[in-house]
Amino acid sequence: MRLSCAVATLALLLAFEPAAAQTRTITGIVTDAETGQPLEGARVSVRGTSLAVTTGAGGTFTLGNVPEGNVVVSIRRIGHNFADVPLPRGQNMVTAALTRDPLRLSDVVVTGQATAVDRRNLANAVATVNGEEVSRVSSQTVEQALQGKVVGASIQSNSGAPGGGMQMQLRGVTSINGSSEPLYVVDGVVVSNVAIPSNQNAVTRSTQGSNPSLTQDNQVNRIADINPNDIENVEVLKGASASAIYGSRASNGVVIITTRRGRAGERRINATQRLGWSKISNTLGSRTFNTLADAIAAWGPNAANFYQQGVTYDHERELAGKTPLSSQSVVDISGGDSDTRYFASGLWQNDGGIIDNTGYDKGSVRANLDQDFGKKLNLSLQTSATKSLAQRGLTNNDNASVSFWMVFPFTPSFVNLQRKPDGTYPSNPFVISNPLQTAALMKNDEKVLRSILAGRLTYTPLEKQSYSLRLLLYGGADQFSQENSLLFPAELQFEPIDDGEPGTALLSNSNNVNLNIGTSGVFTITPLGGAFKATTSVGVNGATRDLRISRIVSRNLVGGLGIVGAGTDVRVLEQRQRVENYGVFAQEEFLAVSERLLLTAGINADRSSVNSDTKKYFYYPKLSGSFRFPQPFRWVEEAKLRAAYGQSGNEPLYGQKFTPLSAIENIAGLSAIVVPVQGTVGSKDLHPERQREFEAGTDVTFAGGRATLELTGFRKDISDLLLQRTLPPSSGFGFENFNGGKLRTTGAEVAVNLIPIQSSATEWIFRTQFASTRSKIVELPVPTFRGLGFGTALGSFQFEQGASATQIVGNDSLADGTVVVRKIGDANPDFKMSFVNNLRYKRLRLYGLLDWQNGGSLINLTKFLYDLGQNTADYADPITYGGLQTTKGANRLRLFPKQTAVYVEDASFLKLRELTLSFELPETMVARMGRGIRTAELSFSGRNLWTHTNYTGMDPEVSNFGNQPIGRNIDVAPFPPSRSYWFSLSLGF
Amino acid sequence: MTKTRTDSVRAIRFFVAIAAALFVSACKDLLVPDYNNTSIDDLVNSPTPTKIAQASQGLLVGTRVGIGEQNGYVSLLGILGRESYNFDPADPRFITEMLIGPLDGGSPAFGGNLFAAPYRNIRNANLLLDALGKVVGLSTAQKSAVEGFAKTIQALDYLNVVNTRDDLGAPIDVNIGPLDPPAAIATKADVLAKIVSLLDEGFTALNAGGASFPFQVSPGFALFGTPATFAEFNRALKARVEAYRGNYATVLTSLGGSFLNTSSPLSDGAYHSYSTGSGDTPNALFDPAGRAILGHPSIVTDAESKPDGTLDARVLAKVAHLPEIHTVQGISTDLVFTIYSSNTSPIPIIKNEELILLRAEARYFTGDVVGALSDINFIRTNSGGLAPRGPFAGNADFIAELVKQRRYSLLFEGGHRWIDARRFGLLNTLPKALPAHNIMSRFPFPEAECLARVPAPTQGCT
Repeated sequence: MRLSCAVATLALLLAFEPAAAQTRTITGIVTDAETGQPLEGARVSVRGTSLAVTTGAGGTFTLGNVPEGNVVVSIRRIGHNFADVPLPRGQNMVTAALTRDPLRLSDVVVTGQATAVDRRNLANAVATVNGEEVSRVSSQTVEQALQGKVVGASIQSNSGAPGGGMQMQLRGVTSINGSSEPLYVVDGVVVSNVAIPSNQNAVTRSTQGSNPSLTQDNQVNRIADINPNDIENVEVLKGASASAIYGSRASNGVVIITTRRGRAGERRINATQRLGWSKISNTLGSRTFNTLADAIAAWGPNAANFYQQGVTYDHERELAGKTPLSSQSVVDISGGDSDTRYFASGLWQNDGGIIDNTGYDKGSVRANLDQDFGKKLNLSLQTSATKSLAQRGLTNNDNASVSFWMVFPFTPSFVNLQRKPDGTYPSNPFVISNPLQTAALMKNDEKVLRSILAGRLTYTPLEKQSYSLRLLLYGGADQFSQENSLLFPAELQFEPIDDGEPGTALLSNSNNVNLNIGTSGVFTITPLGGAFKATTSVGVNGATRDLRISRIVSRNLVGGLGIVGAGTDVRVLEQRQRVENYGVFAQEEFLAVSERLLLTAGINADRSSVNSDTKKYFYYPKLSGSFRFPQPFRWVEEAKLRAAYGQSGNEPLYGQKFTPLSAIENIAGLSAIVVPVQGTVGSKDLHPERQREFEAGTDVTFAGGRATLELTGFRKDISDLLLQRTLPPSSGFGFENFNGGKLRTTGAEVAVNLIPIQSSATEWIFRTQFASTRSKIVELPVPTFRGLGFGTALGSFQFEQGASATQIVGNDSLADGTVVVRKIGDANPDFKMSFVNNLRYKRLRLYGLLDWQNGGSLINLTKFLYDLGQNTADYADPITYGGLQTTKGANRLRLFPKQTAVYVEDASFLKLRELTLSFELPETMVARMGRGIRTAELSFSGRNLWTHTNYTGMDPEVSNFGNQPIGRNIDVAPFPPSRSYWFSLSLGF
Repeated sequence: MTKTRTDSVRAIRFFVAIAAALFVSACKDLLVPDYNNTSIDDLVNSPTPTKIAQASQGLLVGTRVGIGEQNGYVSLLGILGRESYNFDPADPRFITEMLIGPLDGGSPAFGGNLFAAPYRNIRNANLLLDALGKVVGLSTAQKSAVEGFAKTIQALDYLNVVNTRDDLGAPIDVNIGPLDPPAAIATKADVLAKIVSLLDEGFTALNAGGASFPFQVSPGFALFGTPATFAEFNRALKARVEAYRGNYATVLTSLGGSFLNTSSPLSDGAYHSYSTGSGDTPNALFDPAGRAILGHPSIVTDAESKPDGTLDARVLAKVAHLPEIHTVQGISTDLVFTIYSSNTSPIPIIKNEELILLRAEARYFTGDVVGALSDINFIRTNSGGLAPRGPFAGNADFIAELVKQRRYSLLFEGGHRWIDARRFGLLNTLPKALPAHNIMSRFPFPEAECLARVPAPTQGCT
């Protein structure tokens, strides 16, 4: 049915024969209105036709087949405003001077799998961040560079560990148990963003406590491998209304990353050298013991052997007080001619860590090539290779007393842990490990080698005045290998005594391959006179993801060798997952009324190996419209009203549909088949979650284009949630995976851009963004259930019909003293805002980004641990509570079984994410620096320089369990946050 | 023009061909198997003798789950019975919940623990029995041997459940679909009766089981590697259950079929095996530095001395003093267990020493006071190195002596002190380190078991 449909469409296109008409050839030149410099790479088109060409070196162009009569030539270039130049009959020369567009009103935004529209017509609030905004301040990963820049995105760092581990959540909660990750598309290839745990839990035993979640290893989600300096543009489709065309993997949104390309013109080289350092930005501190009696009361009689009056050690700064040097070298070269355009780049980055043996090194090369074969065929290739080494210390929850901040709560400040002159470390007399020794001798290395290849063949067999046909064949491969190599040598205090087996080595090798292939056809028809423009696109695509992880845990290392082969107690684990997807789509865009009205309709149908029925197609339609009102009021340039509706899905995870029996356990080597722990019962009808999103809003441009306002409201209704029904344990099984229930997320977004001052010497651009979301579980066909956490006494996420999806429950006391479990917080912030100021005075530029989160609750279990150790900095501060003379810490401990809220804190913060002061050297000085140097800029910048928060933990963004759909906000012994400072020199050749 | 047209057509054909190829791939089956597991369907519907053997061996894996963990059966029951402490700094609930209470069915590692694991193994046994009905290639005797083995292990798992839930009872008719409404909760008496009937059915089946099992047993069951010897283990379990039921005459007959033997080592018996092999489980109770698992000080303070003035040999063998005192939440101890001397040490399920003490108990309560004294003194002298004692001054004196000998003979092997104190009404004699501490008599049901039942059971659910 669908096949015949597509064939018919193609046949129709081929059969289409336009009437012949008289034509002419026009030429022209495009320049920058401010500098007068010619502009390469500007797109020149004739309104009402499909004719278009790009300016080459010198900003010139030639375009044939132009109708004889009066026409309007539209000229656009990224970073500049549109220009519409009327060209009367008989005149064949165009000159256009484009004004700069600091607010990026004239961007083109990708909306389909093969098509794009002008931002001014866009019916969705698609957020765009360009490369310059991404790379203003050195960042380790892309998401870090996007913090505070995408309205409606919550981007949070799971810990301060070097090398990434961040979550991007778009427009609030979209799933309870399903994947929470947006779909990342780099140059048309769906790339992997999996987060593979290092397996440190073999030593921390974090899985052996009350929460067996494997994600407590402080793992990195692999989008971290993208080099932020290579990014031309990031477009963020925040919900189903924009992302429907990506089908059943798109309901968490789609992040479309486009890397930089060469432009026809002179060869350009840019080189930037950065040097900097980082420094711990917050510590928790610990209690000072003023008397031996206090020390004994808290630590038992053993304290007397170590207590010295007036002597205290700051263990946290001894561990994490380093201010290591970091460096980053970035170079790129680009250029080309009208047939061949190239871009190549290299990155070498060494970021030191604030703890011994931590840090992040990254090297990356990229080569992007665009080759035209005549006028009709274009081949575009993007290749990149990245190598990284992240050394991430030993943090987060454990049950073995080895994770750094799991040891400090139970180590008094009067104990000296410092290295002795003979090079050895003292044993910690109160816990079985000394973090200073652990950090100095251990290794936790994550090495990643990744290559992403993307190719696109574009063939334009027909390009006439009134219609054009474009055929695309695209595909790509994303392959990475991740090696986690951890070593805990026998010399460590805990090594011989935790399991009687000195020395532990861990080795995990993970291999991931994502393959994509697709083809599509785009047919554009513009009837003579240009009454409307209709763009039809159809396409098919297929994708596979294959991930294989093998792990070796080796204990009792012989001869202190740090290889897994040297152990006598060796365990091997292997896991594999593979997902296959197949989809088809069709989309129609209709632009009319002098390009003021845009209507879009589209549908995607796909099926996947993770559904119970692998043959069944799931359909995701979308519909949107926008209308521009030029000059509706005297002081308003343009106002646009827009509305969009769409559906998208969220696939089940690999394995959820099965009812497995475990075959990996044995007893004394006797093979065994058993029901797995927390075994699942798969549903016969497991299928994707479905999101229906409606959004509407308005975009207004006023004050002569120097101010814009973007208002958006949305509502997401998510049904068929991937739920786990907890089975009664007497059944022998843990859960049933099934679809059901309804979740609703609503929200509002506001973005304001202003240019309060704009002159040749001075420019001030100000942007602010506001976003707020609320979620509600509308229907839940299972009894109220709990998610991540460590039991209700320590705060837990609870899913309950009629309640917010992000509510946190815990023990609470009624007036009569009865202890009940009820809501004591909500992880969802009231709102998020950010403020960007970009000030330029002549050659001096000051840029700052403030990121503000208001509200949201965070479970501070690190503080709970310190209280248990009677070691919190404020533990002994006296207070009177309910007429009772007590101390702050003792009071919290007394209250928590009845009032968990004492450990649930407000996670509001205001952070200075980015700050840059830069100076562009004058030409005279640049000329003296060396031949060939065009530009030179010096800058000083910093990231996360300043934080204001009432949260008493180290950082209000942390997540013990890593990226989670819900249930991030649990703080257990994280890697501390740091600030980083950079001096940079950038040269342009 | 014509040439361009031809090129166009050629190129379009190329793209159409690609599109057609992709459309054809639409018919491709996207079936991806479970790479990491086998399936219930495979075991139950197409069983082979090999799969039956693996599922049988799986019962020994399954019944071991939840026993030797740091929050497993031995550790948690040890805490409740004041044999042990767990000072894990990462989780204060070993004290706040286990010693102060109340036990919380909502905390899966504590109050809600020790329930899912035995029921999972009960399911394993039921799946095995289902598969056994369809397997081709096993003789009737071999099938009977597997059935007897499976029912005996199943009885052991039910016993572990009722030992923790006690008078709450427990579900017994659980061989239903996993998505069916949960089985009704039977009374404690019915659960014990179910255990006895499983043991008796198992015994009968083992007797018809031929000379050997069609699978292998773990080293912990080395003495019970054939249907005939496994039947002795079956009778030993039955003796324990009947003692719990107070059917002392049956205890004596069951012991007659068991491996009780005063000339064999007291340690002879059935054990959970542990190893460091890949895929196997190590014994997590091995904690030589006392990071978490520690001994209760009363082990030493309550112990009798040998004639030479040194402590009960069992105390000297089973605990040691650490160089320093450990203190957590106001309680202190310097004792660490040496019972499990490595992470591969086995944990007893039932052993000869317990059988002799069961015989003492049964003899006493069936009127053979002299026989009881002789058994008690056998243990006092042979196991503790203590002087024999004189006749009992009455029931209370006997019970006190019995419970004490059981406590030291079965120390930290599976909550015997707690279970004994409960069945003899002596829970209030267990020591409390701090006035805020409490003595718990049973675990509640796990929260998930309560939520699955409408209305929730009146007892054991919060």
